[in-house]
This record gives sequence, C-alpha cells and structure tokens, in this order.
Amino acid sequence: MIEFKAAAVTAPDSGVSILDPTTLTLNEDRISIIGANGSGKSTLARLINGLVLPVTGSVEVDGLDTVKQGAKVRRKVGYLFTDPTSQLIMPTAVEDVTLSLRRIIDDKSERTEAALTALEEIGLGGKGDVSVNALSGGQRQLLALAGVLAVTPEVIVADEPTTLLDLRWRAHVGALLRTLPLQVIEVTHDLDAASRAHRTIVIDSGAVAFDGDPAEAVKFYRDLMFGRPTRTADA
Amino acid sequence: MISLLGIYRPGTTPLHKASAGLKSLMLLLTVVITMVVDDPVTSVGIMCACLLLLVSTAPPAKPTLRAMGIIMVVAVLTVSFQLWRGEVERAIDVAADLTAIAALALAISCSTPMESMLDLVSRMVRPFGRILPPETIGLMFALTLRAIPEAARIFIDARTAARARGLERDPRAVLIPGATRTVGFALQLGQALHARGIAEEAKPERAEKKSRKDRRSEKAAADAEASQTPLVTYSTVPTTTAEVPSDAVVADGAASAEDGKPSSEDSSGVTPTTEERTQST
Repeated sequence: MIEFKAAAVTAPDSGVSILDPTTLTLNEDRISIIGANGSGKSTLARLINGLVLPVTGSVEVDGLDTVKQGAKVRRKVGYLFTDPTSQLIMPTAVEDVTLSLRRIIDDKSERTEAALTALEEIGLGGKGDVSVNALSGGQRQLLALAGVLAVTPEVIVADEPTTLLDLRWRAHVGALLRTLPLQVIEVTHDLDAASRAHRTIVIDSGAVAFDGDPAEAVKFYRDLMFGRPTRTADA
Repeated sequence: MISLLGIYRPGTTPLHKASAGLKSLMLLLTVVITMVVDDPVTSVGIMCACLLLLVSTAPPAKPTLRAMGIIMVVAVLTVSFQLWRGEVERAIDVAADLTAIAALALAISCSTPMESMLDLVSRMVRPFGRILPPETIGLMFALTLRAIPEAARIFIDARTAARARGLERDPRAVLIPGATRTVGFALQLGQALHARGIAEEAKPERAEKKSRKDRRSEKAAADAEASQTPLVTYSTVPTTTAEVPSDAVVADGAASAEDGKPSSEDSSGVTPTTEERTQST
C-alpha cells in the first residue's frame, strides 16, 4: 500500500510549489495518472520510490518511509523512465540486466542465466549480446523494463513509458504493462491507456484535481483541457 | 549511431577464455615494452601479433574498422612528422606501437564482457575498501565508458542543430547546448541509478561497520543480561544519558534505525534537511 500523507514538494530556490500537500492511498493494481505538461504528475510518481523527496509530509510504501528507508522502498518499487537511453548503463542487453541482479544474486553464472531468462520472458531472447545502441527504441524500453522486473519489485511506476515509441511498440509495451502481476502506476498522456486502469488521478497545477473512476477522470481531464480558456487565450 | 561500446562478442577463443586480469596485464606489459623497445623490427613483430589477436576474436567489422581508422589517422600524422624530420626508423616504430596497442585494446574489448571488467576493477580497489567502496569504483568505471559515446552523440547533435540554424562557425552554438545536455544526461543517469537502487548496493563496507556496532550492542545487552542488570527497553529509553546505564545507551544507538531514523543503507545515517530534500528534486 502506498500512502501520501500531506506530501508536498517545492522548487529548491524559488520555493514555488511543485506539488501541493497531497494525501492519497494507492491500493489498486492499475492506477493511471494524467495531467498537462508541467502539472506535477511526474513529481507525484517520483515521490513513490524516493527519486523526489517530500519537503513536508511523507510518502510510505508498505509502511516504509521514502526519506528514512529509501533503499528499502526502491527494492519494492521499480521505476521506468520515458527515455530508456538514460536508464541503460551497460553496453549490452544481458550485462545491463545483470547489473540490476548484482545486489540479489552473488554467483556470476547464475546472474547471467537469470538475466538471459529475464530477457527471454520479456521478448528479447537472442538479443543478450547486442549493444544497447543497436536496439530500437521499443526494444530499449523493453530492456529497461526487463532490468526493473528482474529484481522482482512489488510495484512499478512507469513515467510515460510509451511516449517515445511508435504505434506498434506503444501497443506492445502498454499490453505488457497491463499483464504484469504486480501493482502498476502509470503516468501517461495516452487517454485510452489511462481509461483501462482501475483508478485514475488527474493532476492540475500541482494538485489532485480528480481521483476516481477512469472514464469520469478522462472526461474531467478533457473538460479541463478544452473547456477552460487557457492563459494564452486570455491574453 | 555511435557505438564505441558494445563491441564485445561472446566466443570461445583463447582470448575470450583468459581472465580480465590477465588480459589487462598483457595490455599493460605491451604498452611498457613498446615504449621501452625502439627497434622497428620488434615493434612491427609486436604489431603483427596484436593484429592477429584482434582478428582471432572475430570483432564486429564496422566499429572495429572505425576505431582502427581513428588510430590510423593519428599514426599517419605522427609518421609524417617523423619522416619530415628524416627519422624513418623512428616513424616505423611509432606507427607500429600505436597500431599494436590499439589492436590489443580492441581485442580485449571484443573478448571481455563489461561485467568482468567491472569485477576486476572492484577486486583491484578492494584493499582500499575503507576509503573507496569497490562497487562504487567499479560502477564509476562502467559509467565513464557509458558516457563517452553518449557525450559524443550529444555534441554531434548540437553541431547538426547549429548547422541547421546557420551557426556552424559559432563555437558557442555547439559548446553551450552540448555542455548543458551532457550535464542533463549525467543527471538523468544518476536518477536512473538511484531508481534502480544500483548505487545503494555499493555500500557493503558501511553495512559491515554497522553490523559491528550491532555486535557491540548485542554484546553489551548480553553482558547486562548476565549481570542481571535491568536493561532499558527501546520504547522506554529515557531522554538523558544520566538515567541510562552506559550499556543501554549503546543499545539505543543501535536501535535508532529500526525506530524510524535513517538506516545505514540510506545516505550514511544522516536525516536529510529540508534544503537537501529540496535539492534532490
């Protein structure tokens, strides 16, 4: 269970609020977070595994505080970035997954075997020794996901994982995320994907504007985006 | 796409079977020998041996030729300079040395997985484990290699963008966006490491220190029990040390991580201040 207890984030220098004090309990298996660019949805997602720490309030994952027990939280919560390039560290696919496994498997050959299995399961069988630079964008995102899944997290936070992918890979990665047997919290601009979740949170101007049924949330978001005059239109 | 890395190809050649340590030693010895020996015939012999070793590992053609091409350009320039000075033998020696070292380095890159190199670096710095965490040093090594092609790609992109805007003669149009994006990439990479919990695994030495402390507190608790002195429980620890037996103060310190204070695996047990927390955003 993920609990936000009046968690708030402000900009370091200016003190401008990035995320207002937010109190949430996230229990559902599939949760989507939608909102405009710069609304604070990625900040909300990053709070979950301690990539961003709350300035006031707290965030807990199964009772573990992200500030005080960040390392333990990150073992439970995997994070998938929009751009897999920055998430991949080692030169080849199998070595990158192996790097994730170093903290849980000591034996080198067992580690390599587990990494190859992880690649096989995600659909990158036979790509183990291929340079990460030679993989397509979709394959890189799958590889990043394999690196996250290899260490058996309980929750995956995916920050716009399909934004940079073409239609085919978007469908593939989206379907894969939907079938994972763990809690998935996805930040997305894809309203179809958002509406397939069990719960959808709409973030607007650093605050939760709507939280509930995905279909209603998507309608609320559309109204928010198109029903209200923007600042540019005002000007 | 730049792919200086990812040149490794699995195989069963003698070089693939050799340990990373042996191969690194071989490279080091070759560098020393080529520097010490000035005889062009010997240098050419070493060059041929290194080229054969490279071929034996069946390297991927394109990146290998590209890497060797860069070395060849340097070698040709150096040889031209030596020939201009009238030192033919010296020119042959320098060209052969450069080619030999580049070929051997490529042969080793081609036959050694990065993880083995990472293990080697970690093993090498292990004696200095108290000062330099071995896993962190190994990771730094891997990240440095990872960053080279990415930084090159960023600067090529910046140059292309500058050209598209007609600013190809203005170095600022390349250097400023290039440097900014390189820093951005470094920050993203750092966040990715953090998110994957990779940097956090690299603290075994600290964890060991903590466990020693735990052992001391356990010993203190056992001593207290043996002497049948009433031991203060964690939930009722008095706030002043004057009220607490000296043994119990140690126990309190050991328990602090469990009581909600940062554990040893979290940034060396220091609670982040508001400012530190904000900076991390």
